[in-house]
Amino acid sequence: MRIPYVTTEYNNRVMTTDESETRRRARPRTRRRFLTAAGTAGAVALAGCSAERTGDGGDGGDGAGSDGNETDGGGDTDGGGDGGDGETPTLTVATYSSFIDAPSVSPGEWLKEEFESRFDAELEWATPDNEVNYYVERAASGAGVDADVYVGLTTEDLVRVDEELDEDLFAEAGDIEGGDAVKEGLRFDPFDRAVPFDTGYVSLVYDSTTAEAPETFDGLLDDEHAGALIAQNPGASSTGRAFLLHTINRFGDGGVASDGDGEAIEGADGDPDYDYLDYWADLQENDVRVLGSWDDAYAAWSEGEAPMVVSYSTDQVFANMEGADLDEHQIRFLNDQAYANPEGMAVFADADEPELARQFMSFMLEPDVQGEIAQRNVAFPATGDAELPSDYAELAQEPADPVTFTYDELRGSADAWVEAWERQFAGN
Amino acid sequence: MTDDAGRTGGGDGPLARARTAIETRSLTALAVLTSAALVVAFYYPTATVLIEAVVVDGAVTVSVFAEVLTDPFYFGELARLLSGESPAAVLGSLLSPDRRLGIVGFTAYQAVLSTLASVALGLPAAYLLARFEFPGRRTLRSLTIVPFVLPSIMVAVGFVATFGDNGTLNAALAALGLPPVDLLFTLEAVVIAHAFYNAPLVARVTTAAWESVDASAVETARSLGAGPVRAFVDVVAPQVYPAVLTGAALTFVFTFGTFPIVLALGGFQLATVEVFVYRLVRDLSYAEAAALAIIELVISLGVLLAYLRYEARNSTSTRGARPLPRRPLVPPAPTLRELLPRAGLGVYSVAAGILFVAPIASMILASVTGGDGALTLDHYRFLIERQQTGAAFQVRPWPAIRNSLAFAAAATLLALPMGVVVAVLTTRRYRGRTLVDAAAMAPLAVSGIIVGLGLLRGLVFGVEIAEWRIAASGAVAIVVAHAVSGYPFVVRTVSPGLSGLDRSLVESARALGASRARVIRDVELPLVWPAVVAGAAFAFAISIGEFTSTVVLATGADAYTMPVAIERFIGRRLGPATAMGVVLLVVTGLSFVVIERLGGDHRGL
Repeated sequence: MRIPYVTTEYNNRVMTTDESETRRRARPRTRRRFLTAAGTAGAVALAGCSAERTGDGGDGGDGAGSDGNETDGGGDTDGGGDGGDGETPTLTVATYSSFIDAPSVSPGEWLKEEFESRFDAELEWATPDNEVNYYVERAASGAGVDADVYVGLTTEDLVRVDEELDEDLFAEAGDIEGGDAVKEGLRFDPFDRAVPFDTGYVSLVYDSTTAEAPETFDGLLDDEHAGALIAQNPGASSTGRAFLLHTINRFGDGGVASDGDGEAIEGADGDPDYDYLDYWADLQENDVRVLGSWDDAYAAWSEGEAPMVVSYSTDQVFANMEGADLDEHQIRFLNDQAYANPEGMAVFADADEPELARQFMSFMLEPDVQGEIAQRNVAFPATGDAELPSDYAELAQEPADPVTFTYDELRGSADAWVEAWERQFAGN
Repeated sequence: MTDDAGRTGGGDGPLARARTAIETRSLTALAVLTSAALVVAFYYPTATVLIEAVVVDGAVTVSVFAEVLTDPFYFGELARLLSGESPAAVLGSLLSPDRRLGIVGFTAYQAVLSTLASVALGLPAAYLLARFEFPGRRTLRSLTIVPFVLPSIMVAVGFVATFGDNGTLNAALAALGLPPVDLLFTLEAVVIAHAFYNAPLVARVTTAAWESVDASAVETARSLGAGPVRAFVDVVAPQVYPAVLTGAALTFVFTFGTFPIVLALGGFQLATVEVFVYRLVRDLSYAEAAALAIIELVISLGVLLAYLRYEARNSTSTRGARPLPRRPLVPPAPTLRELLPRAGLGVYSVAAGILFVAPIASMILASVTGGDGALTLDHYRFLIERQQTGAAFQVRPWPAIRNSLAFAAAATLLALPMGVVVAVLTTRRYRGRTLVDAAAMAPLAVSGIIVGLGLLRGLVFGVEIAEWRIAASGAVAIVVAHAVSGYPFVVRTVSPGLSGLDRSLVESARALGASRARVIRDVELPLVWPAVVAGAAFAFAISIGEFTSTVVLATGADAYTMPVAIERFIGRRLGPATAMGVVLLVVTGLSFVVIERLGGDHRGL
């Protein structure tokens, strides 16, 4: 046994993890409805072997999925053919697993019920283990994408998908009703495929009963904060990567991703001779702990291994839910900043239900839905007119100065930044 | 092994001939089925990923390999040798204090340390379990493998709560007036966690071998004038060594491929090869990921094959299975010879208590501790509530328990014949046996991340053959994948015993007309029965603990297992996940007890 656990992150995390369900779905529509019914019966799936003509139908589903006790014989005859024949269409929404299944709260169940009550359609969630990469693999393997819309895309996901695939995985959003309400600063896709639906900020969370967090990045290097910070591996954790990107924004990249043309990201600190790798060398000197996943880090922090941890600025919302002492869950925005991770949704280029998918996207942007998503995903709405309880901002804190890298800045650079950091930090 | 009726004499009728024919072919048939399972659920899927190391954009290339091999980041000073520097200069830097091991070198280094620690902690347990009699011995023996199935997040939680700054160990030290130890986020913590996982493996494998030592051989040696130490060195040790080495070799391979636990308890400065394989796969940099995985595979397989060569050369013959009598734990007489080993075991049990019991106890405690530090059953209530009100697409506890048990039972039943057949094939001597050995052991040595991706491509997406797309997923695929990961354990526990069997036993049975399959079933397996039971327990454990291929192959929320449920229940507070972890602990503990009871203590001739 390879101790096969992969890293996982929490609820309102954005991109990284590798958890969750690899949902095997058969062809859409009629079969899907049957499967959902069979799935609720909860019988053990007996067989999942299938053979299917690749030429027919066009939806190219692999047909292997059987969500219940359906035995999936070869060459079954149901197929597309649902078009306008009055059947309830099914919208398959792919997302990361904690969006629909988390121990505290998650928006999945509410969204499904609400969407189905407002539209004559059925919503089916798909949460493959590899998240967006699963669809990249599907597209690359010719197995057909088999989902209509993806919820939970980040800037980096888009960069990665675009670098890997020659063809488009996602279609342009087009004219989404209510799309104008999205805050301008959150739009992260220069090609207008992904529409933001919420955003989060990565900041420090600290226990003020044991230590006071510094105000600035430089303050983290003080002797009094030696061994006081737990961060996460930027190669596998979204919080870890956001924190790394924030240090690059602050101190510059020293030209590590320049391809020899000498171009470098300038840091906000204004010192061209001190880049993020220098800062991390100093941070490592001051005994920063870089653990694997957000789970590892937060668990160690909760046990009092260190007073500060890289986490989300919504930490107090959870702490309050559990009746914990808020003094032990203080938020610190270093240099009054936090790294923003907007999450977007996009229609797959070969979606079976592109129109319904766009209706779903505009549904996601409605003021009341935006409020529910923010509260249930413990994040911030993407639109200016979301309906939120007036006291929401008391616990869910936003920085005075959010920072983030654009698609163009990340493209061609993000991998090099992480790799240079890895080589410095783990050089044995 | 298809024959289940008692043999009633040497009739020559058509029925008997048919039976003989089936018996004769059953071994071949099983070998063919085993190969088929391996190809479908392992070789083909894995190959779809590994090939990316040498085929980039449709062209065959070795440049990716060359780049990795000559990169000091991965290979340290050795990379300079590979890039053509003079061996003398490289040797010079290797001997200098600031030498670079590289990620691969460091990974091997920590694996060696972890192996030593696991053997050191596993052997006393094997000694205790194999040689002493005390109430609860069999249950304790059954429970030894429990740590093996625990998800890394559970172990991390248990370790932080036990060895952390505010952990149980430091509280105990403070109460005794001793200075605190700062263990977490060091190499030591990682090595100890690896020993937590793997010492039980060493102990369990060694116990099985020790229990198969024939008492009459020891008695003969003693009657010929050998002292107890001499009899141990000459008779017992040679039969136990191979098992210890089995445990050591497997431990090396597992800890060489370690991943989440290193980062959880050590930190990124101790990153291993697998950490980079994961990151590269995640970034879709498949060529470099595959190259690294192949390097991992070569090193792991190299270690396994070196050990197999040793095993083949050092097997000793045995022909009976009357086990050594166990000694009572309470010394019969207060002599130094009786007291010394027991005192040693006393010291060991304190260490084992801190190392194995305390982290598990901490996990259990975490499952009944609320956010305010008070005792509570809330986390278990969460499990019940999720069971009752969870949506169809969410993971619920009961189906997870049921699936875990069903998959593990089926995977064990499949892994046992697979393992026995391969053990039989690999204890014969023939040209190319090394190749068969390597092929049979490969599932142990390939990166789990690569296998997961391979299963996605090879099974879930399927292959296109003549306009048909053949795909597989769901329960059957999961069971086969689990059996493929578990069967090497059956091979490794059963094989040393089989190769040590006196060939004349087999030959006499054959001369009396028994088919090969029948000899295996009626003569050989009963003689190595403790090893068969141990192998079954491992196959079961592998299936119960498996995560990666389960999530890849599952067809929906209702094909999930307990580790998947734990993973889903991880939240900001670890309560719900630890409660599910305790459920896993209890369910697997009970299963192991049942397996070993079903297996019986002995079934010798």
